[in-house]
Amino acid sequence: MYRSQRLALRYFAAAITLFGVMTAAGLLSALYYVDSSLLYNVFDFQMAKILHINTLVIWLLMGFIGAVYWFLPRELGREVVGIWLAEVLFWIFCAAVAVVAVVFIFVQYGSSDQFSMWFINQGRKYVEAPRWAAVGIVAVVLTFVYNVTATAWRARRMTGILWVLILDLVPLSVLYLDAFPQITNMSHDLYWWWWLVHMWVEGTWEVLIGCLMAWSLMELMGTSRRIVEAWLYIEVMMVLGTGILGLGHHYFWIGTPQYWLGIGGFFSALEPLPLLGMVVHAVYDAGTHHMKTTNRPAFYWVLAEAFGNFIGAGVWGFMMTLPQINLYSHGTQWTVSHGHFAFWGAYGCGVIAIIYLVLQQTRKAQNFDSRAWKWSFALLNLGLVGMVGGLLVAGITQAIYERAQGGSTLQAFVVASENQWFQSGMYARVIFGLLFAIGYLVLVYDLLVIGKRAAVAQRTQEASA
Amino acid sequence: MLVVLTFLTVDSLNVTRAGGIQVPNYDVINQEIGYANDWSRGFEVPVIGASEPLFGRTYSLPEATELMKLGKAVIQSRACMDCHTFFGNGAYYGPDLTKSWLDPAWSQIWMPMTGAATRGDAMVEFLMHPEQYPTWTRQMPNLHLTRAEAQAVVAYLKWMSAVDTNGFPAHFGRIQTQN
Amino acid sequence: MMPANLVGTAVALGLFVLAGGAYGVLYTASVARSSILLERASYLCYVSQLLIALAVCLVSPLGLLWKLFIATSALAYGFIPPVTWRLLEKMHHQHAQ
Ligand code: HEC
Ligand code: HEM
Ligand code: HEM
Ligand SMILES: [Fe+2]
Repeated sequence: MYRSQRLALRYFAAAITLFGVMTAAGLLSALYYVDSSLLYNVFDFQMAKILHINTLVIWLLMGFIGAVYWFLPRELGREVVGIWLAEVLFWIFCAAVAVVAVVFIFVQYGSSDQFSMWFINQGRKYVEAPRWAAVGIVAVVLTFVYNVTATAWRARRMTGILWVLILDLVPLSVLYLDAFPQITNMSHDLYWWWWLVHMWVEGTWEVLIGCLMAWSLMELMGTSRRIVEAWLYIEVMMVLGTGILGLGHHYFWIGTPQYWLGIGGFFSALEPLPLLGMVVHAVYDAGTHHMKTTNRPAFYWVLAEAFGNFIGAGVWGFMMTLPQINLYSHGTQWTVSHGHFAFWGAYGCGVIAIIYLVLQQTRKAQNFDSRAWKWSFALLNLGLVGMVGGLLVAGITQAIYERAQGGSTLQAFVVASENQWFQSGMYARVIFGLLFAIGYLVLVYDLLVIGKRAAVAQRTQEASA
Repeated sequence: MLVVLTFLTVDSLNVTRAGGIQVPNYDVINQEIGYANDWSRGFEVPVIGASEPLFGRTYSLPEATELMKLGKAVIQSRACMDCHTFFGNGAYYGPDLTKSWLDPAWSQIWMPMTGAATRGDAMVEFLMHPEQYPTWTRQMPNLHLTRAEAQAVVAYLKWMSAVDTNGFPAHFGRIQTQN
Repeated sequence: MMPANLVGTAVALGLFVLAGGAYGVLYTASVARSSILLERASYLCYVSQLLIALAVCLVSPLGLLWKLFIATSALAYGFIPPVTWRLLEKMHHQHAQ
């Protein structure tokens, strides 16, 4: 095994750990909605939610980075250049995450000076981490980009997937610089903030997961490189062709010109098409290979990724992306419903699939199967779909009573929040969230043991033969 | 696509700069602000009215700009956006703050409750001691705002309510009775 | 837009894409397994997508241009699965040679 691959395993362990922190913080955030006196003035909703969404971003990024460190040496047939730097930075990364978490839990927020921005909390959703930590993330990502490009350079080899990956990592990193500024004008602030949020999840991350899924399909189903690469190019062009101007669906109501209603609505309405293409491709591969694979967990998580991406992002997004509807659904639990479904489908499932793929190889297990993975697969997905369903009901209730009928005042907000349907949605989120959390625990157990016994049995068999 | 986006970005940033076509300058806080239907555009837009000093005084443009800077710094440092939405963006635990300045709750609930004489003062009082003036079970925590910080936030919210958001939120404050 | 219309339209749009997706999945599966039943089911999904589009055009309060756009994309969805399939087949064949 290459050192780079050992580093990948460490990244996966960190990612799964943070996935657990995220789930716990998500459950806590959900509890405030059903018991509003919870930890009042001690540890309030906003801090639980900050932990939830920041660990979300970090665990997915760690999963992606780990995946690339895993595939890269195989792709190029050599150790990653500058791997020692990456190894050092991994520990710094983990330490930084821990320090930020401790600050968020115990200090929480500061006063309105620059010290707060640098060392406590920047208060911009998804990028609340203080600036020093953001600098650290920039360093990690820069090292990562250096590792990838320098290795390709030294190996004197480039593959199609690597080209796409490298060209994608540049804007992905540059966009992150958006985590620093403090812009007085809220319209300008949100204008740039959406460049980061939208261009990550509906652009650069989508391309990145496309590269990772291409590698996975090659290993999992033996799909040929030519095919996955040709398909990747088409996909990338479609994702960027629709996603770049699809950005406009966030520029309907922030003070930006009215033409965004047409542009944003039109291009974002086309965004489901490439996602549909991915589903068709996955079904095609599964069909032509007659569902034969030696790694069923990875295979099913890949399928879940394709379907989850299409339904969570494509279907749930399309429901509310036309301006006439978004006017009422905007900024309600409806958005949360879509956010969960899309993030889970497109990225959560993808990272889990890759981890299973990698574990089969490290454990050298031919018969890579267990009962636990099925349970965790079912519980996680059922939990998530149930949660998203409850949130959709709650969101629709808000769209009707708070936005359309109530005119979005405090009173309208209260009326919608006390509505029976809204409340049921909030309880449903807690209950299904618990199922999700149990699924997470089973997942951890399974990841620890799957393939180990089979591998041992296999080895003793070989020894006795 | 990127080229088109670049052009649109240049234009949008110009339209949304303070003093641009859809975003007023910061000294708009010295004026009365309303929200009324614009029949030609088919939705509601802010209406800037007669002079209406804030906290009993009139701010020059540089003073107002400084105040906004502070207001935004408070909003970021306390992570208001992780409970509230601004122009509908943020989190959904608290009410949307886009038109908070125009919320009837200030005159109907909080002015009597705090005993403040003006909407602005009631807002300051609420923001400094939200735990003393709850309107329902879900409460806002005390985020330790100083008076100066609270005033800056109120000014910021007043300015925000004067931004032309293409009609979001629709018919703010005009409750339609069911059926 | 009145609340009832709002919810109806949003749900219809969601089902619209979902039906398109079901059509794509079933169509691909049907060709992969050469199953007539699956193929029929896939066309059923596409027909329901067209009907949803029709309903959106007739009764929803969306603007005229948006309706036109929905109608056009409903037609476009019809081509995606067969065209994608042929493309994938072509790539596989090229590769086999
Ligand atoms: C823990 C979540 C939380 C945080 C953080 C928070 N708020 Fe609130 N806020 C609330 C809740 C809940 C209400 C409704 C309170 C009530 O009705 O009694 C509220 C009400 C308000 C209102 C009245 C809204 C209206 O239109 O009537 C304003 C203004 C406000 N908050 C501003 C702020 C500002 C400014 C910050 C940041 C300094 C902030 N809030 C931080 C939860 C929060
Ligand atoms: C993998 C892809 C996607 C992910 C991970 C994703 C995630 C998210 C998240 C997290 C938000 C909430 C952001 C916030 O306010 O904090 C959001 C908003 C939104 N998304 Fe997506 N999304 C994806 C794809 C799509 C697609 C394809 C569409 C359209 C067809 C879409 C339409 C929207 C719209 C309209 C909003 C704004 C909601 C509002 O008005 O409040 N998304 N998305
Ligand atoms: C136990 C399971 C979970 C629970 C109970 C939970 C709960 C919550 C809550 C309460 C919020 C705050 C919403 C608000 O502002 O009102 C939230 C936000 C969010 N969560 Fe989760 N969550 C869970 C799992 C997940 C998972 C698995 C993902 C993604 C893979 C995720 C991604 C997000 C995102 C992107 C947001 C911000 C969305 C938005 O504001 O629109 N969560 N979650
Ligand atoms: Fe988006």
